[in-house]
Amino acid sequence: MIRAYYEIAKSQVKLDFAYGAWFWSSMVSSILQMLVLFYFWRAVYANGPSELHGYKLDDMITYMVVASMIGGYTNGAGGKLAEDIRGGLVAIELMRPYDQLSKLVALDLGGKFGYFLRNTVPILVLAFLFFHINLPPSWGAAAMFPLSTALGVLIGAQFDLLVGIMAFYTVNIWGLRVLRDAVLLFFTGQLVPVMLFPEWLQSVNRFLPFQSMVYVPVSIYTGALRGAEAWVQVGIQAAWLLGVFLLVRWTWSRAMRKVTIFGG
Amino acid sequence: MIDVQNLSKQYQIAKRDPGLAGAVKSLFSRKYETKQAVQDISFQIQKGEMVGYIGANGAGKSTTIKMLSGILTPSSGVVRVNGIVPYENRRRNASQIGAVFGQRTQLFWDIPIRESYHLLKHIYQVPETEFQQRLEMFTDVLDLGPLLGIPVRQMSLGQKMRAELAAAFLHNPAVVFLDEPTIGLDVAVKDRIRAFIREMNRQQETTVILTTHDMQDIEEICNRIIIIDGGKILYDGALQAIKERFGDKRTIHFDLEKNDGFTIPYALATRVEQVVSHREAAGKSNSISLSFNNAEITAAEVISEMMQAYTIRDLTIDEVHIEQIVKDIYERGL
Amino acid sequence: MRYLRLYGHFFTAQLKVMMEYRLDFLVGVFSVVLIQFTSVFFVKVVFDQIQSLNGWSFYEVLFIYGIASTGRSIHHIFFDNLWTIGWQYIRNGEFDRFLIRPVNPLFHVIANRVQQDGFGQLAIGLILLLTAISHLSIVWTVGKVLLLIVMILSSGAVFVAVNLFFATLSFWMVDSLPIVVGVFQVAEFARYPLTIFSKEIRGLLTWVIPYGFTAFYPASAFIEHSGYQSVALLTPVVAVVSCWIAYWFWGKGLRAYTSTGS
Repeated sequence: MIRAYYEIAKSQVKLDFAYGAWFWSSMVSSILQMLVLFYFWRAVYANGPSELHGYKLDDMITYMVVASMIGGYTNGAGGKLAEDIRGGLVAIELMRPYDQLSKLVALDLGGKFGYFLRNTVPILVLAFLFFHINLPPSWGAAAMFPLSTALGVLIGAQFDLLVGIMAFYTVNIWGLRVLRDAVLLFFTGQLVPVMLFPEWLQSVNRFLPFQSMVYVPVSIYTGALRGAEAWVQVGIQAAWLLGVFLLVRWTWSRAMRKVTIFGG
Repeated sequence: MIDVQNLSKQYQIAKRDPGLAGAVKSLFSRKYETKQAVQDISFQIQKGEMVGYIGANGAGKSTTIKMLSGILTPSSGVVRVNGIVPYENRRRNASQIGAVFGQRTQLFWDIPIRESYHLLKHIYQVPETEFQQRLEMFTDVLDLGPLLGIPVRQMSLGQKMRAELAAAFLHNPAVVFLDEPTIGLDVAVKDRIRAFIREMNRQQETTVILTTHDMQDIEEICNRIIIIDGGKILYDGALQAIKERFGDKRTIHFDLEKNDGFTIPYALATRVEQVVSHREAAGKSNSISLSFNNAEITAAEVISEMMQAYTIRDLTIDEVHIEQIVKDIYERGL
Repeated sequence: MRYLRLYGHFFTAQLKVMMEYRLDFLVGVFSVVLIQFTSVFFVKVVFDQIQSLNGWSFYEVLFIYGIASTGRSIHHIFFDNLWTIGWQYIRNGEFDRFLIRPVNPLFHVIANRVQQDGFGQLAIGLILLLTAISHLSIVWTVGKVLLLIVMILSSGAVFVAVNLFFATLSFWMVDSLPIVVGVFQVAEFARYPLTIFSKEIRGLLTWVIPYGFTAFYPASAFIEHSGYQSVALLTPVVAVVSCWIAYWFWGKGLRAYTSTGS
């Protein structure tokens, strides 16, 4: 069974490569965005204090680069799911010998592999060569960062499915996706580091899953989160992953009951 | 009405090596190969003719139709539709042609079709009174009444196709291209659609070019067929001639109650041939298939003789498929 | 004139659909408002730490944002279908349909969709503009109001031209959505004072992908210390020229399509 999902993921990688233009343009556009961010923060620091909440310019650039790198992975297969729902494909897919949601996650992981090559690698090269971003301050942070990132990415993938399932209830999938993008961009800390939020918003955010997607892994990378505190946050990430996963399964089974009874 | 002379079209197709390695390689360089879709074809179609344009998938049918409708520019040769060169004067050509492209819809997905027709009226600049008259007539012949307030999204295949046909004829085009207008529909709807096409042709002398895999469509609508294969015209002429030669071949599959040896009943022996069908090949030994020419003996006669000789549980009659005819032409010549 | 009337008919048909899906209308409008709001919030959070960004105060930056959002809403409401030409029409051959209609295919593509979410964009754009203006000491004359309207229309036209140009690539590469999306993302950042960027990037946003003329330059016309008041007056010219180039390119793409049939 795992084998089947592996093949599904591989097919998506091939598909991604088949669209050569996607590959190059997406690479160029991520580099461009990175450049703009770089200049923006440089200007902010040139106009203001030398330190924002303990972040110097190079810390901030490091934060932004790593955050947008991880931020690129917070999407998932929800768009595909929503399309399948609208096109009536879910009913047909019910007959296939695999779990639809797992299949979508496999497809998505395949897609992320391609994304890694075309976005993450060039950004990393650019960031180290030209922006001189910092390395993690310790081996411990370096080791914990991938773990925390993986959890964050998986939470994002599950959350995206949740948004996709909403296609059962609304036709405007595009609007939902824009909404999702807006929420994620902001609350994950991708756009503004969460520590710059006003106090009240930071407290609200503590009870939401979003900062587990980006802010936590990045903070581990920069060393802002370390030691026992970091482990607590990773634990919270794991809890969110489980929570969102269960929520997805629950809404899915409810929606499926609707499909099998009313024929979608 | 339609004049095609020495028409050719080549495509360039990107080639890719299989597998992941091939995919990566294609990012950096691509190889192209030339495909000859249509090769030096010529024909004339008069006003009011209804022509079946037939060929296997990839034979060059849709390439030809696209050149006639102005979507594609030919590599060489001449096309004229009602005196207009479609690819040079696309918009003028567009106002005098109509089209139904198989499963694709030209109606707006989320809007009730009445609204779609209204928009089409404005797009094609149909005068209001003409529009009303025509819509009334279509509503009648195609039984669109209950559908007018429904968007295409909520329609069955048959309803969609009826709505689609009305849209194609709304501006009273001189030429209509119909691509598989009856595919996947039930018999009643097929009949209605065919009747509609004949009626439009009778009233308005609309020229119809029909591509289909359904022999019945051609028999009931067309008086002439053009067969294309490998980008070249294989046959252009009356339907009757082709039918006499190939089209009257029928096959009936019988499922017999018992399986204790089968011989062809005496009365049929000279006029019927036993053939191996796929069901027999699959191991169903009490399944018998008989092939015959409809001009020599009717299906009814064959069935009644068989029923006298054997207990029959079930039977099916195979329709003749265009593919079969095209294949026969290849194997046996004209 | 005929096209204007025809657009009216398309538009009313679309409005009827919108009213059928009222919930979706609200979701769309709300999400756009929210996404714009987050980026304003971003600026606010940053300005809590600094007084000005290269001489531009918070409300002056907000003014740039306002022009960008309002200009973009024109594109968003009326020209949204350009985004997905490849994905929606060319990839699956639906584009053929437009070619056998007796109207300009580009017009048809555009008229085929009214993007409801754009109304959210328009709303937030106007709110930002009014908020910014009430805090800025610009002396408003009739001439300046007219200029503002021209600037906003030009901003919208530049958005349309850039999107049309890159969407046209779909004729060669089936789906240019990734490029269109990528280019469009650059616009998000062209809403800051261009002076914060290096010479190369400023040049890119001015002469190559003229997004600078969707927000920063038009806003400069009203800010006396901007130093770009004369460049700002080029905005309508840039808008017209870019539309012309984009339409010329579209024509080339169309010819390529009809000779390969993709």
